[in-house]
Amino acid sequence: MKSSLGAVLAIARKELVASLRDRQTAIYTFVLPICLYPVVFWLMVQGALVVRGQRERTAVTVGVAAAREAAPPEGLVAALEARAEGEGGRPARTPIPNEVAVEEHASALAEPAARAWVSGEAGDPLAAESEPTRPDAVLFLPSAQEIEEGARARLFYQSSKSRSELARDRISQRLPPFAARLRGAAARERGVDPGRLEPVEVQRCNVAPRRDVGALILSSLLPILLVVMAVMGSFFPAVDLTTGEKERRTAETTLLLPVPRATVHQGKILAVCATAVVATFLNLLAIALSAEHLLSMLNIGGGGPQAVFELPVLALLATAPLALLFAFFVSAVLTGVAGLAATFKEGQALLGPVQMVFILPALIGVMPGLELTLGWAFVPVVNVVLAFRAMLVGEPLYLAYTVTALALLVYAWIAIRVAVRLLSREEVLLAGATIPVKRLLSVLRGEGGSD
Amino acid sequence: MNDSTSEPPAILARDLRKTFRDPERGAVEAVRGIDLECHKGEIYGLLGPNGAGKTTTLRMLATILAPTSGSAAIDGVDVNENPLEVRRRIGFLSGTTGLYPRLTAREILEYFGSLHGLQEAQLARRVEELLDIFDIRPFQSGRCEGLSTGQRQRVSIARAVLHDPPVLILDEPTTGLDILASSDMIDFIQSRREAGTCVLFSTHILSEAERLCDRIGIIHQGLVLAVGTLEELRQRTGVSWLEDVFKTLVGEAGG
Repeated sequence: MKSSLGAVLAIARKELVASLRDRQTAIYTFVLPICLYPVVFWLMVQGALVVRGQRERTAVTVGVAAAREAAPPEGLVAALEARAEGEGGRPARTPIPNEVAVEEHASALAEPAARAWVSGEAGDPLAAESEPTRPDAVLFLPSAQEIEEGARARLFYQSSKSRSELARDRISQRLPPFAARLRGAAARERGVDPGRLEPVEVQRCNVAPRRDVGALILSSLLPILLVVMAVMGSFFPAVDLTTGEKERRTAETTLLLPVPRATVHQGKILAVCATAVVATFLNLLAIALSAEHLLSMLNIGGGGPQAVFELPVLALLATAPLALLFAFFVSAVLTGVAGLAATFKEGQALLGPVQMVFILPALIGVMPGLELTLGWAFVPVVNVVLAFRAMLVGEPLYLAYTVTALALLVYAWIAIRVAVRLLSREEVLLAGATIPVKRLLSVLRGEGGSD
Repeated sequence: MNDSTSEPPAILARDLRKTFRDPERGAVEAVRGIDLECHKGEIYGLLGPNGAGKTTTLRMLATILAPTSGSAAIDGVDVNENPLEVRRRIGFLSGTTGLYPRLTAREILEYFGSLHGLQEAQLARRVEELLDIFDIRPFQSGRCEGLSTGQRQRVSIARAVLHDPPVLILDEPTTGLDILASSDMIDFIQSRREAGTCVLFSTHILSEAERLCDRIGIIHQGLVLAVGTLEELRQRTGVSWLEDVFKTLVGEAGG
């Protein structure tokens, strides 16, 4: 007779054998852990490379202003404009990498005016100009006397704008070698050791309006939430309305309706989409409304100016058409895939990896520095994330937005067509077992679909 | 039974075939050339063991499955050419045509009625009528998931006859029912004959076939082996009990 431990082990062994013969359990236990992380890391590295490339190609403008009785030191402009080949230690691949255009202000400015030059707030020296070209960041140099009194050079930038942050980074990278050269020259002139001269400090000053900072923080949260909630909102209805029907033995009941099969499946996709839209909208609204409270508790965005969160009504409204198209796209994909399963459990297991197909690109889309371009506008998921981000930070990218909408429309249409075609197949509709992926194409091509 | 010579058959199938592609077994011929002819006011029983091809045949006639070859028409409408019209002319019931568990009986009837094109007033009248005929009213507002088997069966029948179809196709209609629910179903089938409806039903319960059918088709391995009244089948085989009739015919066919 087996001991108690022996019996436990025997039962565990039998349960393990039975469990691992279940395809879903085997996939989640072995295949996914082994495959998922290399794929995730590869995607993240690719995303980072793309972002870096885009940053390197982005030209920024830096304003240089000096206080009364001060003048920019000789060679400063050249030092700032010099291209740092391959920022980050990597040779640059772009023809004009890391370009910085320097614009010196013709006359002396007081510090508040220098600050307003980049932020556009009261005292803006460009206020009188009809088409002001505002620099992305401004380097303000105090007079020698002010430095003696403890004033520091200031680098004004706006954390709510990626170009401004880029300008800040480039200046921060190029100033120290120039300052070191100046210090060395001054030391030689005075015949002292360079270490005995106090370096001129450059203080970074984030002048982004508090509302813009709040919008920036929201822009890193809400777009990914849009994708996640569209996927999560579609997930269970997609399984429920397809494999759930098979399991509840109501699929044939539905097939008896005197309407074309395509109409039935379009209706199902519409229902899934409606759930996804409601879930997405309510989540976005809830997080936008509670952002200030939540983020202050988490101290996100700390260090810079205190963020002010406002309900981004206009951004939400402007993104609504994209969100709707995206919800249709997601719903069609999830419904089509879920329909391949024979049981609810298998449907859930099938959709697990499919969720990642949407969520991973969304993670790339919220990487700092990535902006909506015409190229990105064709990349599903990333395009909707970037467009929403742009809306939230108030960057109207009309052309890219339109292209994004058209691309999503096409993708949603294709997804609905394929899903309806798939779900109309007898092999899928009345399948007693999950359709293997390798049979998918033959099912799509094969006969068996009917009205 | 009505006079079958004056009007076209309510159900007509010629050389109906269905082949499934099974990943492991390859092509599987579930139905291998079935001919059927049923008339209005007739109850036709398709009698055969499990796997004989009864359900597949009925599913093809109900347009749930598309025939691989052959032809079939319901009330003169071809199942391949106009499946939507066929669905308007049939009521189909099987063990796999369940009720939507989260809807109420009334909601299901209204849903099917609206998609069958019944106008609002007409639909309301018809639903009220069915609630009374099938004694559904007491539980009309409860979700179907909470109904007893017998109650569900009544709602299913009401769903199938809601649009007053001239043809009823029932796949093993008493399977899984208790004695009372089975009895109700048998009474319902008999009542359809009087209403002039063509009823085609499959069963493997010999007593049901003996009691109800005007004609019986013996089906085995995807083929109809014989068709006739019970008396005709007895005469042909020379045995009296339907069970023996069935065994004799299957034996003759080499099964």
